Amino acid sequence: MDLNETAQESAFRSEARTWLEANVPTSALPSFDTAEGFALHRAWEQKLYDGGWSAVSWPVEYGGRDADYIMWLIFEEEYYRSGAPGRVNQNGIFLLGPTIMEVGTQAQKTKFLPSMASSEIVWAQAWSEPNAGSDMASIRSKATRDGDEWVLNGQKIWASRAVWADWCFGIFRTDPTAERHRGLTFILCPLDLPGITVRPIAQLDGDTGFAEIFFDDVRVPLANTLGEENKGWAVAMATAGFERGVSLRSPARFTEAVKRLIHLWKTYGDPTDTALSDAVTDAWMQAEGYRLHTYQTVTGMLEGRTIGAEASLNKIFWSEMDVRIHEIALQILGPEAERMEGPSERWVDGFLFSLSGPIYAGTNEIQRNIIADRVLQLPKGM
Amino acid sequence: MKFSFTQDQRLFAEGLRDLLSKQCTPTHVREAWENQTGHLPDLWSRLTEMGVLSMLVPESQGGMGGTLIDAVLLFQELGRAAVPGPVLEHMAVAAPALAHSQWAHALNDGTATATVWVDTGPYVAHAQVADLILRNDAVITGFSSTDVHGIDGGRQLFTISGGSESAASAQVFGLPASDVMALASAAYLIGVSEAMIEVAAEYARQREQFGKPIGSFQAVKHLMSDALLKVEFAKAPTYRAAWSASTGSSTALRDISMAKALASEAAYRASRSTMQVHGGIGYTWEADLQLWMKKSWALMRAYGDATYHRRRVGASVLHG
Repeated sequence: MDLNETAQESAFRSEARTWLEANVPTSALPSFDTAEGFALHRAWEQKLYDGGWSAVSWPVEYGGRDADYIMWLIFEEEYYRSGAPGRVNQNGIFLLGPTIMEVGTQAQKTKFLPSMASSEIVWAQAWSEPNAGSDMASIRSKATRDGDEWVLNGQKIWASRAVWADWCFGIFRTDPTAERHRGLTFILCPLDLPGITVRPIAQLDGDTGFAEIFFDDVRVPLANTLGEENKGWAVAMATAGFERGVSLRSPARFTEAVKRLIHLWKTYGDPTDTALSDAVTDAWMQAEGYRLHTYQTVTGMLEGRTIGAEASLNKIFWSEMDVRIHEIALQILGPEAERMEGPSERWVDGFLFSLSGPIYAGTNEIQRNIIADRVLQLPKGM
Repeated sequence: MKFSFTQDQRLFAEGLRDLLSKQCTPTHVREAWENQTGHLPDLWSRLTEMGVLSMLVPESQGGMGGTLIDAVLLFQELGRAAVPGPVLEHMAVAAPALAHSQWAHALNDGTATATVWVDTGPYVAHAQVADLILRNDAVITGFSSTDVHGIDGGRQLFTISGGSESAASAQVFGLPASDVMALASAAYLIGVSEAMIEVAAEYARQREQFGKPIGSFQAVKHLMSDALLKVEFAKAPTYRAAWSASTGSSTALRDISMAKALASEAAYRASRSTMQVHGGIGYTWEADLQLWMKKSWALMRAYGDATYHRRRVGASVLHG
């Protein structure tokens, strides 16, 4: 055990800090869930890519730096520290990208990875359906083989970034005789094809960060199949494991949020209110605990261990922590927290966003079932 | 940056687990409760032979020469078995602090047993079975003790009177005894919590109601998952505290406090949830669960409770 950075890691941190300080936009970009903000965020991703920072953990040949997971965490710390914009293509770079590297063909890697790293192609996720939310195995959207093409029909929902994204990745039923998680296939599909209708859905914050996607005889080549036909569930679970595990919410996001929370407490908090200072301290401990837990997890991955169902523990932890950090901030702000602007603006927005955490990427109740079944080995059943 | 234990560290901990699975079963722990001492002399000999009790004593003084990183997984294993007696006090503080004293040899070979009395509490645990008490910068011997009836039969509590004092060091790796005890108890509490969760999971697999194992019900699954969550997220902070303490880090005291606060709360949550999963059986003297529950209720208060330690963290991170 050595929790000090190596000379190489420190040099990497310093290089990232220098580049970010010189390049991060000086004023915040509009939300990437607006047309204008989306375009500006895509331009920022291109700049990151040109500097070699958009996908640091990827191989050099696809636009990355071959950074190991520890260095990825260091980059994330510097990224959040610098106040850089949110990652508009995170569904691609952090979720689909690693999945393509794991199960994709060489042709798919060459075709999709560089354009993903540069955000020339921004990716949306198309998994859930109106009747397949927590019960994702009840997917009904189907893909029917016709010559060397798939014909897609059905409806996807809660597709993040789909309003402005270029492509989507989803799972479709390819064997109509199979049930549940069998007979599904993972398929990549452009969003500008004939037969596709994207209907934006306004979120709780009013922005259209997600959408419904309707597929009406949409034709894509069989070459767009990721992984084996009818084995899409396993491919999707690999992606979901990574999402819940480390990539979706890197610890730096929360350590930076807690720094801002402590600043807010120093500015507005009643220093004699020990319940409040205990709560702020607890938020610091949670963010620090999540950081330490993640470093321990990635060290394990570097030593050859894989993340299994314990990824579900992470997902519950970060999502509940995020809500808690914002609840404490709103408590400190008192009557100001009723407003959407002024000193509370960022915190009220953040609070609304944090409330999605316990729901998406598999609700926390589903995660608790997964932990109980697979980590604690409790009997299956509802 | 490398946040993992070495193969040797893991193997030693596995060896200890193996020993304790035979020599410190719930039957043994009950024996310690019932023999009115809270202590198991046979087990003490085994722990001495294995080098557990002298893990933190320098090799030049006849010990294993380990660091707190080497010891932290052992504290955790001791907790999994709810090992009774002054094992943490002796191993984590007294033996290394007195490694250069006249007591060193007897503490290493198990012929003398020591406990520790720190300022975070008025009582002395295990005084009846201890030959000496390390108290601040003194060793107390020849004292008499009065039982004040601690909740945990494996951690009996006393007030003491009389005795004579001689000067001694109460520092371990440059840290005050109370902080080393807080770190050791944090790791021990993690082991206690893991054991409670395992026992309750096994119960939930076997016990049937409504024609099904109760572990198949979501209400039970979620209680258990939430208990596990708190324990799992107390581990890395505890291991980090051991690293900070071993390396003389400037944040060592803050990190130890963070570990003790999180481990205390995780253990309490685990005790409540696992007792609930046991239903009525969990409220009986007969159920073994109480051996760990009472350990958790004792050690979450000892050596600084969660509030005490959270405020020490707060003093560092809010005002630092």
